[in-house]
Formats: sequence, structure tokens, C-alpha cells
Amino acid sequence: MSGALLEVRGLRAGYGALEVLRGVDLDVAAGELVAVLGPNGAGKSTLLRAISRYDVTLRGGTIVFDGADLTRANTERTVRLGCLQVPEGRQLFGRLSVEDNLRLGAFVRRRGTLETDLRSVYERFPPLAQRRAQHAYTLSGGEQQMLAIGRALMARPKLLMLDEPSTGLAPQIVEQIFAIASELARGGTALLIVEQNAYLTLRHAGRAYVLENGAVALAGTAAELLRDERVKAIYLGGSTA
Amino acid sequence: MLQLLIAGLTVGSEFALIALGIHIILRATRVVNFAQGEFSIVGGLIALTCAEVLHANAWFALAGATLAGFVLGLVFEIVVLRPAGRTGGEAGVTIATIGAVFVLLYGHALVPGWGSDSHPLPGFGGPANIVILSLSKDGGAVVQVQSLWVFALLIAALAALYVFFERTYYGKAIRAAAENPLGARLVGIDVNSARAISVALGIALAAYGGTIIGPITLVGGAAGFALTIKGFVAAIVGGLESPVGCVAGGFVVGVLQVFLQSRMSYDVADPLVYSVLLLMLLVRPQGLFGRRDVVRD
Repeated sequence: MSGALLEVRGLRAGYGALEVLRGVDLDVAAGELVAVLGPNGAGKSTLLRAISRYDVTLRGGTIVFDGADLTRANTERTVRLGCLQVPEGRQLFGRLSVEDNLRLGAFVRRRGTLETDLRSVYERFPPLAQRRAQHAYTLSGGEQQMLAIGRALMARPKLLMLDEPSTGLAPQIVEQIFAIASELARGGTALLIVEQNAYLTLRHAGRAYVLENGAVALAGTAAELLRDERVKAIYLGGSTA
Repeated sequence: MLQLLIAGLTVGSEFALIALGIHIILRATRVVNFAQGEFSIVGGLIALTCAEVLHANAWFALAGATLAGFVLGLVFEIVVLRPAGRTGGEAGVTIATIGAVFVLLYGHALVPGWGSDSHPLPGFGGPANIVILSLSKDGGAVVQVQSLWVFALLIAALAALYVFFERTYYGKAIRAAAENPLGARLVGIDVNSARAISVALGIALAAYGGTIIGPITLVGGAAGFALTIKGFVAAIVGGLESPVGCVAGGFVVGVLQVFLQSRMSYDVADPLVYSVLLLMLLVRPQGLFGRRDVVRD
């Protein structure tokens, strides 16, 4: 109730009979970069899907975004409200050009400011400008991630959620992606980033939640969590990504 | 020879439009619409009603049939295919299209003025019914003006589809929704509406095809399913995933059919045309214009 852009309370959700999230509370305010960490299968991606309202069945709790109740919304409506997700696998339109992918990112707004936004995405991601006429499937992994983020930015998101943006990318490109995420947050956009790579993410995040077995096991500022023995136990004891 | 070639390309134009409709609907729904030929027959009959009852000229009859096809396609998707998909998945949708074959086949025969017979459709006009082409000395060819109209109208439809899907924002949004429904939803495209529009375009194309060929082949009757199969063979020959291939395949099947029918009885010629399907699936399953990497799902 502190004026957060996204407020998740007691969220329970899953797939069919399988309950994955067992009561999750989470807030993200404008201009914040918040990380959701946790081992594989903890429910991180499920949380993003529940917020974007696809594939996941909600079983209880509330999701309020910018004053609107998302539990009653469909995916298209969440996008219209400014809640965007760059999902696992990026979900680009491979047979369309890079530029068409970006233009379609503005589907819920369109016209008027489209050209200006296109230019600013190209400025942010110069490789995309060079490849604007190519089919999206011809891009490298890093460029595809840039395109996926660029496409989401074309909708002028208030909240941008990234699902495992580091997957399959070289460390140098991952650094670039996080630098851009931090820059977006400084510009006032809220960012919610799901990652397995905890230390990398905590270096850029302001706050973080650690999910375990579908519930928040730990929450705090990035600095606190970096010092926390339990985080070290989870991430240094187990397999470090 | 030239004469047969022109006749083959004329019927091939109809197969091309059926194949293209199958392609557009397949891309959006992952399902082959087995009622494509029946919708083509019904489209031709709607044009007949426009011409005979409403006294529309051939052009308005064509516009009326195409528009009616679009609306029928929307209804077909929303009322039949969508619920079938919710309960039965892709198999359910496929079976629904087969069910639609019988509903349309026996249903249209009950409509007053349509019946189960074939009817002539008024032509698109022109200076004369027949044009003589004498390109070579060893005999020219007689071309019906209506054949020329078929080619012109086929090209017009192809151009319109090309512009819509390749040059307009909504056309690209519909392609995006067909290629990656989740990606499309995540940019705010209503995938259900996009799918309905794809199906409606496919059915409109069938109705358009059934009408432009009507002055030559008559409209109505029970030939709808054979038309579907020939369109399907055309799509396989050219490549189900390739719009250019669908058109080329339509011409190949049309010319092949006319040549075979000129040399042997229809009873022998048609099975030979269908056997091209098996041959293509064995030799080049992606079709003449398809790419190997799309043969997967």
C-alpha cells in the first residue's frame, strides 16, 4: 500500500491441479530494479506468467498493477496497462523482420510516437539498427535478447519483467543487458528480473526476493542479501549458475 | 497443346485459390480446412443468388460472394472451430472441418434456388466470348474471354493478399499471431481475433475462387470435396508453407488434370492426379517451393 506500481499479495497459482506458488507477497515501485532469485523449480517463471496472465491458473491472492486488478485481466489487457514481459525463449516473430518485430511491439499504442520510439530503441541497441531488415530468426542470441527487450520497450512499459535474460548469453552481453536494465530503472521504469545467476543480479538490483518451493524465503535489499549467510548457503552450497 | 495449357491454367487458378485458402487457415490454426472446397461451392451459389434474385451484375455478385464468404468464415471460426479447439484441440478442429463438409454439402442442396444441381453464372463481360491467339503458325488457340478474367482476377487477389500480409501493419500482426501466438499476446495482439480474421480471409478466398471460375465451370453441385482434395494436392506440390508454392502447385495440378483428361477417361485421370500427392510426399515432402527446415510439426 506504499504506492507500489505492482502489488502481489498471497498469490497462489499453478498448472491444473499442481500448485506452484503457495502465497507470494511482492512489491515493485516505479524506478526500482527488483530481482527474483531462487533455484530451478522454485516458481520464478510461474510468478511472471501469473502476473502476465498466461498459462497459469490463479487459485488465490491478488495482483494489483497501477491500480488495476490483474486477476481479472487477460494478457492483452496487462500489456495495454503497461505491464510487459520478455519471456523465456524470447518469443520473437522469427519470420518477420527485426523492424517489424519492433513495430508490432507498439501494437497497443501505435502511430504518433512510433517512429520516435523506434529511433530510441535503435540508439539503445545499435546492432538492431544494422539488422533492421533481416528476419529475426537470423540474429545471434544476444541480438535476439536485445530485440525482445526492444520490442517490449516499444509498448512504453511502466513495468518490464525479464525472465532469465542471461540464459545462453556470453558474460559480456549479460553485463550489457543488465546495464541497460539499470539505465531503464533510473529513467523511471520498474524492472522485475527473474534470474538464477544470483551474484550478478544482486550487483545490479536494488532489492530482491528469494523464492523457495513457491514461497518467499528471503527478501531484502541487494546489499543485505549479498551478506546473508543463507543466500551464500543456497548459492555457494548448491550449484552456482 | 496451347489450348490445353490455357484450359489447365484456368482450372488451376481455382485450385490455386483453394490451396492458398488452405495455407492461410493452416498457418493460423495448424489445421487443414477440409471444407475449403464446399465453401467455394457455396460462394459460387451466393454469387448466383446475387445475380438472379438481386439482379446484381457479375462484379457486384463477386463482391457479394466474397464478402459473404468473409462473414461466413468469421462465423465458422467463432461458432464451430473455436469451441471445437477448446474441447478437442487440433484434432477436434480438423474433425469439425470434416463435419462442415457434410453440413454444407447437404445443407446447400436444401436452399431454394440452389438445390443439388449445377448452374451457369453470368460472365464478367468483355468484347466477345472468344479470342483467337495465333502466336505460332501451326495453329492458334481459342481462349474464352472468361479465362482471361479468371487470370486477371487471380492476379488481383494475389496482389491484394500480398499487400495486406507484407505491407500493412494489421497483416503483419496477423502473421505474427499465426507464427507465435504467445509472442503476439505479449505485445497485446488479440490472438483469437487474428485467428478468426485468417479463417475469414481463407473462406472469402474460397468464395471468390468459386465465383470467378463460375462462368466457365458452373456453380453448385457435389464437387466441393474433390475441389478441396485438388487444392490440397496443389498445396502439397507447391509447399503448404509457401503462398507462391500454393499458386504454382494449383497451376501444376490444373494443367496435369486437363492433359490427363484429354487422353483418358476422367475415372482414370483423377486418381492419377491424386497420386501426385503421394509421389510428392515421398520425394519432396516440403513441396517445390517449401524449405526443408519447416517440415517439422
